Amino acid sequence: MSKGETLDSARWAAALAAGLILAVPATAQDARDTIVHGADEEPATLDPAQVEPGAGGEAVIFHVYDRLLAVGPGSAELLPSLATQVPTRDNGLISEDGLTYTFPLREGVTFHDGTAFTADDVKYSWDRVIEMDLPESASDILSDKIAETRVVDDYTFEVTLNEVDASFLYSSVLPMTASIVSQDAVEANGGVVAGEPNEYMSDTPVGTGPYRLTTWNRTENLTLEVNDDYWGDMAFDHVRWEFGLDPDVRVLGLRAGEFDTVETDPSYVADLEGAEGVIIYSEGLLLEPLHIGFNLNIPEGALPEGDTIPLDFFHDVRIRKAFNHAFDYNAFINGALAGFGQVNPHYVPIGVFGYDPDAPIYDTQDLAEAERLFREAGVWDEGFTVSVVVESGSLFEIQCLILKDSIESLNPNFRINVAGVAEAVFDEALSQNPVEYAMWAKNGDPAADPSAYLETYSHPDGEWGEVHGFANGYADPGAVGALIDAIAEELDATVRAGMIAEAQQVLYDDPMWLIGAQEGAVTAYRDWISGMVIQPLWPRPSMNFALYDKAQ
Amino acid sequence: MQLRDYIIRRLIALPILLLGVSIIVFSLTRIAGSPVGVYLSHEMSQEEVLQIEQRYNLDKPLPVQYAYWLRGVFQGDFGWSGVASAPVAEVFPAKFAATMELSVAAAVVAVALGLWLGTYAGVRRNKMPDHITRIVAVSGASLPLFWFGIVLLIVFWANLGWFPVGRSTNDIWESIAHPTGFYTIDAILAGSWTALMDALWHLVLPSITLGFGAVAIIARMMRSSLIEELQQDYVDAARAKGLPERLVLKRHARRNALVPTVTVIGLTIAFLMQGAIAAEIIFRWPGLGRWMASAVVRGDQATIMTYVLFTSVLFLVANLIVDIIYAKLDPRVRLGD
Repeated sequence: MSKGETLDSARWAAALAAGLILAVPATAQDARDTIVHGADEEPATLDPAQVEPGAGGEAVIFHVYDRLLAVGPGSAELLPSLATQVPTRDNGLISEDGLTYTFPLREGVTFHDGTAFTADDVKYSWDRVIEMDLPESASDILSDKIAETRVVDDYTFEVTLNEVDASFLYSSVLPMTASIVSQDAVEANGGVVAGEPNEYMSDTPVGTGPYRLTTWNRTENLTLEVNDDYWGDMAFDHVRWEFGLDPDVRVLGLRAGEFDTVETDPSYVADLEGAEGVIIYSEGLLLEPLHIGFNLNIPEGALPEGDTIPLDFFHDVRIRKAFNHAFDYNAFINGALAGFGQVNPHYVPIGVFGYDPDAPIYDTQDLAEAERLFREAGVWDEGFTVSVVVESGSLFEIQCLILKDSIESLNPNFRINVAGVAEAVFDEALSQNPVEYAMWAKNGDPAADPSAYLETYSHPDGEWGEVHGFANGYADPGAVGALIDAIAEELDATVRAGMIAEAQQVLYDDPMWLIGAQEGAVTAYRDWISGMVIQPLWPRPSMNFALYDKAQ
Repeated sequence: MQLRDYIIRRLIALPILLLGVSIIVFSLTRIAGSPVGVYLSHEMSQEEVLQIEQRYNLDKPLPVQYAYWLRGVFQGDFGWSGVASAPVAEVFPAKFAATMELSVAAAVVAVALGLWLGTYAGVRRNKMPDHITRIVAVSGASLPLFWFGIVLLIVFWANLGWFPVGRSTNDIWESIAHPTGFYTIDAILAGSWTALMDALWHLVLPSITLGFGAVAIIARMMRSSLIEELQQDYVDAARAKGLPERLVLKRHARRNALVPTVTVIGLTIAFLMQGAIAAEIIFRWPGLGRWMASAVVRGDQATIMTYVLFTSVLFLVANLIVDIIYAKLDPRVRLGD
């Protein structure tokens, strides 16, 4: 190549570079009034009748739809939303027998398509969830409890329950599944078909919320625009969720100013602390206890090769208590959770009604007590090998590794195999009944009422009680079940709190889980965002973008 | 065999080969386990799992599932992507366009820089420029793409803020239509200089990352081939006839040196598409690679099957094109023999 050709090439390269550089300032002013959020999980669906509890779609549904009631920041108190009053016995909106709830509705509200909101839409929305009854949804929060829904008039909606349920408002009215959709929009786009998802509603929300969905580029981003016709306080800025981001890239992006807010977890706090312009915000705890389950219903021949435990290994309460005593809670909370976490009692998360700060909890490693219990149970000399299945590369896997270290440090004959598998494999394994592993690790699904946790994770006839055979292990399964049932039916808050406190003691003495901790609710954001507040009762990431103002 | 007949024979064999590949891959993915997992949550009951299986025909025998899948392919229905939460056919074109755009940009970087470096080094054999080129080539071949990309990301994006990450600035992207899915082409069609610059600016880091390794391979091949050609008798004859050195190089030596280099270029471009996975993850490029990485981890078999089918077509067609170019460059090559 001659010098002349070399010079020509250099000139072309310089010209291109100059063009690119000159173009950069033209792009630097964008996104001034849009909050860019680095999200962890993309929604699978935006249909309240299809959304899975705890999944990414709930966060978007929270912003584009309203429900009859809401919770604000800083408190678990129920607030009016599309209903103008919170039903209570005192205001007469809960009937004397506790079965009928009346909701006076807000007038002058319109859906994003301009149609008027009325009681018909409420009835339609809830009936639709029940009729579709999709397996991935939380339809049972309505179908298991509701006997009848009624339109009294255009702005009065009534619901009658099958039985008295103290948790109804928190467990059934507040969750995203109970969001109010536009009847006209649904009927014009596929209607309601039992057992079948509605593809239109899956990606075209028509709600009354402070935001409306404008674009959704799959696996890339999703944009919400402020709803100028919103009935309540107007949001400050638009929002764009960016998906598919590696957690490290999210953190880098926040530091570079490309994101205004990011979903992160405590393990990244060290990377963000002291970074210029970055604020780390922590408020409360996520309502998703990180737990390890004990299977008391192991089928014959199902355990992985190498597991030596008998099928009734966890029937013995001493074994379960020994595991709880052996776990190194300090290492988990101060290590993996970077100090953002706290252990809750079995099984009532901190921040939920009825949590008793004086309840006994397993929050300190006590190897001496663990050894005593293992010896008493007769497994000390022979030892055991047991596998725990978990999603690989997750915080839950770290919890299992800490358990492994904790147990194996006690006795060289004790062995824990941590079977890390892909998420899809894990989900499929846990959907089996009975489960073919002795132990597994995950987090609980968030809920606003203690009965949701007690019924799901502690009741001998509940979802996990039935699968894991809690009745094989409880000293008195009937009494435990009766107590949890009574808690669900007690409408007097004071009496109910006392019963929940009792349950926490009972479950401490007879634990069916090992609870590592409740993870702290942590987020990180740029200092040009004001109004930041998070509320663990809001769907993860526990943020409400309508309250935040970007002043870059 | 005539070139035309050769092409026809290869095109006839293509669907048969694809059918064989699809059966093998379908079987292998099912050996790994049921694809239902990506649609489940861990709290589903067995009855709910069965409902999901019925929805996606996963409760049928394997040959029937394959037949459903094949029928869907002919109808343009490639199944439902659990990762993208949308039909695969709806998501694939945009992802493909993004990956192709990145791969083409990386290929342009690799070919332009590789040929230039290789030629530059070849005519300055064993002099300082040749040594420097060798260092560049070795580092390009040795540096892990992932590491190199993250270094560029940290330096030029996170710290200096010179280059962006992702494919576009959202507002600029939304300001033009996207009939082709290729941001650069769509910007040109829309007559938007801002969008074109935005597209090119976003391409800089990922295309350098992806293309750098290929630069090394192409440069080395070009250098070796050129050195060999420059030692041939016809080059001496051309010089003896008084032809300027630059014409000896441009019209004779370099053209012949390109013959083996083109083969390498063809293979390299094909491998660029695979290497795009890492570049897409690092730079948040919304292409097939990133989508596929998630699909593999999460067991999204509908997406995996479509990707395998697509890349099989691509490889077979790419090989055919390379063979044709090869024959055109060197008339001595006989096809189909």
